[in-house]
This record gives sequence, C-alpha cells and structure tokens, in this order.
Amino acid sequence: MSGILEVRDLHTQFDTLDGVVRAVDGLSFDLDRGETLGIVGESGCGKSVTALSILRLIPPETGRIASGSIRFEGEELTRLSEEAMKRLRGHRISMIFQEPMTSLNPVLTVGTQIAENVTRHLGVSKRAARERAHEMLDLVRIADARRRLDEYPHQLSGGMRQRVMIAMALSCDPQVLIADEPTTALDVTIQAQILDLMLDLKEKTGTAIVLITHDLGVVAETAQRVVVMYAGRRVEEAPVEALFDNPLHPYTRGLMAAIPRLDTDATRLQEIPGMVPLLTRPIVGCAFAARCPLATDRCRAEAPPVVDAGGGHTVACWEVTP
Amino acid sequence: MTSYIVRRLFAVVPVMVVVALFVFFLLRFAPGDPAAIIAGDDATSEAIAAVRAKLGLDRPVVEQFAVWVWGLAHGDLGVSIFSNLAVTRLIAQRLEPTLALTLSTLIVTIALAIPIGVVAAWKARKLVDRLAMGFAVLGFAMPVFVLAYVLIYFFAVRWQLLPVQGYSPVAEGLWPFAQSLILPSVALGVTYMALIARITRASMLEVLQQDYIRTANAKGLATDRVLLLHALKNAAVPIVTVIGIGIALLISGVVITETVFNIPGLGRLTVDAVLKRDYPIVQGLILVFAAVKVVINLLIDISYAFLDPRIRY
Repeated sequence: MSGILEVRDLHTQFDTLDGVVRAVDGLSFDLDRGETLGIVGESGCGKSVTALSILRLIPPETGRIASGSIRFEGEELTRLSEEAMKRLRGHRISMIFQEPMTSLNPVLTVGTQIAENVTRHLGVSKRAARERAHEMLDLVRIADARRRLDEYPHQLSGGMRQRVMIAMALSCDPQVLIADEPTTALDVTIQAQILDLMLDLKEKTGTAIVLITHDLGVVAETAQRVVVMYAGRRVEEAPVEALFDNPLHPYTRGLMAAIPRLDTDATRLQEIPGMVPLLTRPIVGCAFAARCPLATDRCRAEAPPVVDAGGGHTVACWEVTP
Repeated sequence: MTSYIVRRLFAVVPVMVVVALFVFFLLRFAPGDPAAIIAGDDATSEAIAAVRAKLGLDRPVVEQFAVWVWGLAHGDLGVSIFSNLAVTRLIAQRLEPTLALTLSTLIVTIALAIPIGVVAAWKARKLVDRLAMGFAVLGFAMPVFVLAYVLIYFFAVRWQLLPVQGYSPVAEGLWPFAQSLILPSVALGVTYMALIARITRASMLEVLQQDYIRTANAKGLATDRVLLLHALKNAAVPIVTVIGIGIALLISGVVITETVFNIPGLGRLTVDAVLKRDYPIVQGLILVFAAVKVVINLLIDISYAFLDPRIRY
C-alpha cells in the first residue's frame, strides 16, 4: 500500500496569555490509500489541531504550524500557496466536524451548501451541482431528498445534519476525509448509523479516512490502524487488533482499563490518575511520566524513542520496550 | 408570511392614533399662542381674541381635535395658519428635496458602510481595520452642522467645486441636481455611515467565530463567498436593525442639514412652522415623519423573516 498522506514531525503551536502552547509536538503518521486510520486520545491531546493543521485551517492570528512536513500525494502542503490550498480543501481533502448543530450555516439551504462545494471545485453548472447534491443526499440515505434540498439546517435532526455534512464532504470525491469526532454529539443509536454509513461510503468511493475520536469503541469498530496520541505526541501505533490484544504503552493500557466492560464483575472503572500536563512549557522526558505507574528517573529525564514491536506495532516507552 | 404582513399592517393603525393624539395635545399644551403671534406685537387683547376665534382656537380642545381627526380621515391635514394653503400641498411641494437628500444619503452610506465594516472585520486588528474604525469614531463624534460648515468652507468657498447652498430640482438637469446634493449628503451621512460600519464590523466579527464559517473555509470556498454570503447573511439582522434606527437619526439630521444648506425641504418647513407655531403644519409633518418610521419598522421586521429562516411569525 502506498501512503497518500504523510505527516512528519509536525509541530503546531498557539500563542496564549500563558505562553506558547505546543498543541502538536512532533507528531508523525502515515495514511494509506483507502484505509481508515483512527487517532485516539483524551480531550486536549492535539487531535483536532492535527486535523486543522493538515487542512491549514489553524487561525493565523493565534496559531501556526511551527515546523514539520505534511505531504499529500507527494505535495508539501505546508509550503502550498493559500489559493492552491483552497482548491484542495473540500475537493481532495475534506473534513467533517464534531458539532452537526453548529457546523452548517443556519441561513442557507442544505442544497445550496452541498451544491456550492460542487460548483466551486468541479466547475459544473448550478443545475448539475444541484443534481449532484440530490444524489449525495440519496447516498447518505436521507429520505425524500428532493424536498430536503430546500430545507434549512434547523429543520433537520442532529443525525440528519451529520449526514448532510458527510454528503457535503464527499460531494467532490475526495481522496482523504478527516472526521473529527463525527459521532460524539449524537445519540448512541444514531452514532452507530453514522459510522456504518461512513464505512459503507468508504467502500464505495475508496476515500481514505482519518477518524479522530476519544472513543476506543468507535475505533475498534471502524479503523484498521490506530495512532494513540498523548500531549501532542504519538505514544503508540498499531493495527487495530494488535492494539486491543496487546496494548503496550501504559497510557493505552490505562485507556483500555477505563472502558466499561460487561464481562467482569468489577464495580469501579479504572481511571488514569492525574491530569494532562500543561503544554505551555516544553515537556522534558516522556509526556506521560507524571501519571505513569511505571515511570522511572530516566522517563522523567529523557524522551523515549519510538521502537518497532513488529507487525507494524510501534511504541514510545522506556519501560515496555520489547 | 402574508398573514403576518397583514396583521402588522393593521397594528399600524393604533400606533398612528396614539401618535396623532400625542401630537395634537402636546402642541396645544406647549407655551406660545399662535393668535398672539399672528396679531403682531402691538395687538390688543380684542384683536388677539378675534384671530383666535377665526382659527377656531377658542373652541374646546376636544372639539378642535374632533374637527382635525375628521379632516385627517378625509386626507385633509388642515390649512396653514399663516399662508392659508392646504398642509398637504405645502408638504407635497417640499417633498422632492427631502426625498432626494435622504435617499441619496441612505444609498451612498449603506453602499460604503457595509463594505467598510466587512473588510474591517475580515482584517480585524490590522491597519485597514484601525483606519476604518478611527474614521468611524471621528465621524460619529462630528456634529452635522460642524461638518457641514467645514465642507462648505473647503469645497465651496475655497476650491469652488460645489455650490455653497441651495437646491436644484431634478427637472432642471441631473448634474446641477447631483452637485447640490453632494455636500449635504456627506454632512448628513457621515455619522450614519460610522454607525453602520461599526455595527457591521461587530456583527461580522461574532459570526466569523462560528463553526459554520470554519466549515465554509474547510470547503475551500472563495473568500468573497465566505464573507459576503456565509457571514454577512448571518450578520445581517443587527445591521438592518441599525439601518432602521439610523433613519430616525437621519430625519432629525435632515432638519439641521436643510437649514445649513438652505434646501427648501420638509426640514426647513418644520423649523419655520415650529418657530411660527403654525400648528396644522407641525402636526401634519410629525404625522408624516411618524408614518415613515412606522413603515420602516414594518419593512425591517419583514426583512428579518427573509434574512433568517429560523424566524417565523
């Protein structure tokens, strides 16, 4: 398989009153053509910032990609002109967001919002774009699509709005879809429907998906490979079965232990003690050391290298090095 | 929507009745006796009483009111105490200059203020924004009459580019007509423009923070489409509201502007009538201005429903 998206040593920073926040701190990963890659981590670990960095949507007043490389089909996105970037967004890489309630424009019809993407990138007539919008609503299984085209977002439920977001994102057949917590704001039953829909459409269109979530259950159901992020860094990466069968990093193990299970009698969930470290100061050593049950003096002094555990499984930890 | 508009039109009637009541009684209880002014400084009390009887001012106030309302219902605003001309005719004669002045001011200021506000929000805290907002503060702080005399001094007296005063009807040629409107429109419009530009900027800044703007950017839409369709349409409700409030501001500004530039419009008519206590004219004018404001309010309320599909009546 060939990589369609390669992120190397990405650093994204924000200026705040407390100093520079290193939201993404040397992150690297690859996305293969047609695959689903899960990026997992707690709130504030830099998942969403990673997504916004790839599309270069970091607000320039406060944040920037400080260093690193993002290559999409061999093209270096960090050096692309803004105009070229605009041609790429929504066309070859598109994105869906966490909040379907607020991510659609309340004063424009659903049809307008899907069709404008198509006219913008594919240069077709308005009529053809509207036809395409209709087709996309059918594809995301919205009943009575013809009528829905002329409705406004407030006339749709949360699940339907997320379907509209998906229809919009896929309307130009992108090579990569970045989904940032696409189901977090939805009811559990709707979550399952939306995930099924995304996987189904991926099969049909061959779009590679970066699925960003804090929910390991979602990852288990959908992703082929998983990157576990902590404090802006990658701590572990593995094929999904390998990660669930044999989690190596203490942080990943902590996350697994925090999942409610029905097959044991445990009455209390295992939580990870402590808090995500402040990102305003450079972190010396392993970012997880302060919360890690296995931490040693070396962990607090020196950042662990990424080690290959075989079978595409890598981990950055001094203590569990295989 | 249609039923809403119809209902709103009916609601206009009680508002206008209250305005009529208020106008009539306010003037009757204001100090100053028109009969005494008409009769002249040296008039005897008998002469004043005779004038009063002739004008019907000796009748009970309620009777005067009934006569006035009866006339109103027939489209008759009464007769000027001094010139003996029908008020409706006087107002019609003065309508063109005022209409020309307010409309040209409105169109030019809105056409300039909204783009200024949009660009200022888009380039927030950059040089363009600071210049625009600096200008807005200045414009807002400048009284109409001060700006008017400054403009006259430079453009009319010193550089002799434009007429100092006066009005040239549109029937007498488009260019003199336009020339006679430039300075008054600028003097009248600057405050208004500053107000709209500031509100546009504030409203746009808030909208530009919203998730759907991020979505529009993630779709790679052109900047002008994001700003002018996705953002401005969402920012429009406060802007339209202020444009409406500003029209009220404009009406008081017209009175001053017409006086300074010696334009024979409704503003001048108002000032003259008030100074002479010419009740019928003052009443008629206030009614006309009130009706204009009520209609503008109605239009703004209706526009909300077009701008924001979530608003339903």
